[in-house]
Amino acid sequence: MLKHLIGTAAATLALTALPAMAELKIGSIVELSGPGAAAGTNFRDGVKMGFEEINAAGGVLGEPVAITEYDSQTDPQVSRAMVQKAIDDGVVAITGTVFSSSTVVNMLVARQAGIPQFTGSEAPSITSMNNPYIFRTAFGSQKGIPKLTKYMAEEMGVKTVAVVWANTEFGKGGHTAFLDEAERLGFEIVADIPTEQAQTDFSADVVKLKGIQADAVFVYLTEEESARFLREVRKQGVQMPLVGDTTLTGHKVIELAGEAANGALGHVGLTPDANIPAMTAMVDRFKGQFGYTPDHNAIKGYVAAHAIKCVAELAGKADSQAIADRMHGLTLKAADCPGVLMDTSWDDSGEMSRESFFVEVQDGKQVVKAILPAN
Amino acid sequence: MTPTRIILVALGIAALVAAPLGQGNYIVYTLTSWLLFSIAAMGLNLTLGYAGQVSLAQAAFMGIGAYVTALMTLAGLPWIAAALVSVAASFVVGLLLGYPALRVQHHFLAFVTLAFNILLFLVLRNEEEVTGGSFGLVGMPRPSVLGISTDSNLNFYYFALACFLFAAFVMWWILRSPWGRAFKALRENPIRAESLGLKIRRQTLLAFAIGSAFGGLAGALMPPLVQFIEPGSFALIHSLKLLLMVVVGGAGFFFGPMLGAALVILLPELLRFTEGYYLIIYALLVIVLMVFSPNGLIGLGQKIWLGFRPKQEERRDMKKGFQL
Repeated sequence: MLKHLIGTAAATLALTALPAMAELKIGSIVELSGPGAAAGTNFRDGVKMGFEEINAAGGVLGEPVAITEYDSQTDPQVSRAMVQKAIDDGVVAITGTVFSSSTVVNMLVARQAGIPQFTGSEAPSITSMNNPYIFRTAFGSQKGIPKLTKYMAEEMGVKTVAVVWANTEFGKGGHTAFLDEAERLGFEIVADIPTEQAQTDFSADVVKLKGIQADAVFVYLTEEESARFLREVRKQGVQMPLVGDTTLTGHKVIELAGEAANGALGHVGLTPDANIPAMTAMVDRFKGQFGYTPDHNAIKGYVAAHAIKCVAELAGKADSQAIADRMHGLTLKAADCPGVLMDTSWDDSGEMSRESFFVEVQDGKQVVKAILPAN
Repeated sequence: MTPTRIILVALGIAALVAAPLGQGNYIVYTLTSWLLFSIAAMGLNLTLGYAGQVSLAQAAFMGIGAYVTALMTLAGLPWIAAALVSVAASFVVGLLLGYPALRVQHHFLAFVTLAFNILLFLVLRNEEEVTGGSFGLVGMPRPSVLGISTDSNLNFYYFALACFLFAAFVMWWILRSPWGRAFKALRENPIRAESLGLKIRRQTLLAFAIGSAFGGLAGALMPPLVQFIEPGSFALIHSLKLLLMVVVGGAGFFFGPMLGAALVILLPELLRFTEGYYLIIYALLVIVLMVFSPNGLIGLGQKIWLGFRPKQEERRDMKKGFQL
């Protein structure tokens, strides 16, 4: 504690002692407390590492980047206040938030001020609001789920499926998208089980699953709930394959669920275990710096930092409007902008697309079973 | 009111008017949030601090106000009409809930109101056709007063300040009316109050419903302020936060809830430099305060003040005060 205080005080003194120099301000608004803390901390560290690397390499257009962090407390009202604060502080761009309910509010405020926002949220509604200042760092669940269901139908031969989902904005988006796709592909839904955010006991839900027979169970919960659910499934010995999108096979979940995560299948937009050299190297550096394995949220944050840098350089100036204008319809190739790790495109609504992976958890590690093409 | 008091109140109002001038949007927005929570906490203070009933449903009443206002203003009705309906709706729901609930008191009432808060949260989330479910409602317009738009944060602050002063005046008037004195009598000694002809149940019900109506007014200010509402903003945790505001500030003191709201909203901000530790420090501070001064900060201030002026004899009959 004392160390922290002295450290902060020393840092403040050091900062005030420096002569004023032109710097590019970025606001990192994330969930550092509350239910979103697991995802938010990962995203924050990703952004931090990204910009530290950029600064070490000479900054953006020769200007060093200063990141200010704001805690949204996973509360939309606080989140809005933090966006106001970031804008008052004069940021050029905002990275975060991860939870959709906060992002929806932040978007309104950032739009009024004309500040581009690089969000980690995956709820479909975000890019359907005609907001020219919002950009995703991972594609929305409405794009991810068709990839997943296609794989389930073609490679796994699934005919009947049970659905377990979180009754939140995040969960509902995924649930609706999945049911639409399931109908299109002719899956039979044998059970539809909603759960609560911050639910701790999943025994009743798993008992329901035990009573039915399905080719697969689609699980769409946030990180901590996914881990608790997996533990309960293992405890009760349910044998059906569990398939998720992004969260179920995430590293935070594997860490929390331990043994119980083995065998879980899932589609992930980003994985530290993909055999992409740039990503493997980034993951190693991250582990060295922060002492834990980054999950997709950390990679999203890292990509956000580098996307801002590359776009500002393409636009020729580090200006909010210029960045936002240049982002629309842009494709960043990993060859030209190594920090984005994979070729990535953004469309006019801020939605993005890139290749993704179908993985299985084996011995506490994600193993890539297939690469799914961008759509 | 003594002349010194009038001068102090006038100075306080002047300070509130001057507070946001020259400040950034963030400060103005946070000050507006504080005004809003102060109104809700004032209502809870009436129920808790004056009538002595523990309610864990204040956030639910804010929710009723917020959703009624959001739906009505989204349908194009003026804010003032929506706010009146919100206050009335919260009052009526307060009566309906209070009538059966107030057969039980203290911590049993806390359980009943806790259940109500969870129930309301589930209704707000699951009645998607009306409330938008967990997607919430977005884009509520801010009202115009006499042709002046409150779209800028500064204008909206003054709008909220006017509502706050109005609410504070109504509260002050209630407290010095026979009702307010009856509420205090109930808290201090219900049996003596009843022997003097007060109808205990009717009075507590009234205090509860009026307190709820203040929650409704605070709720009505929320949609135009945040321009987004979702059921999560009215969950049980927020009722506990409001309870904390009242208890930390000083239950049963007129200015207690305002001080408490300021502290609950601002302290996490002030402690932010301690990074991950701020929640722990914050929680410790609250525990220490409750151990040494159950009457909250204002109670603590009074204790210190009396320490310096030992000659002034404390009124013995006021000593018991509020007990959680």
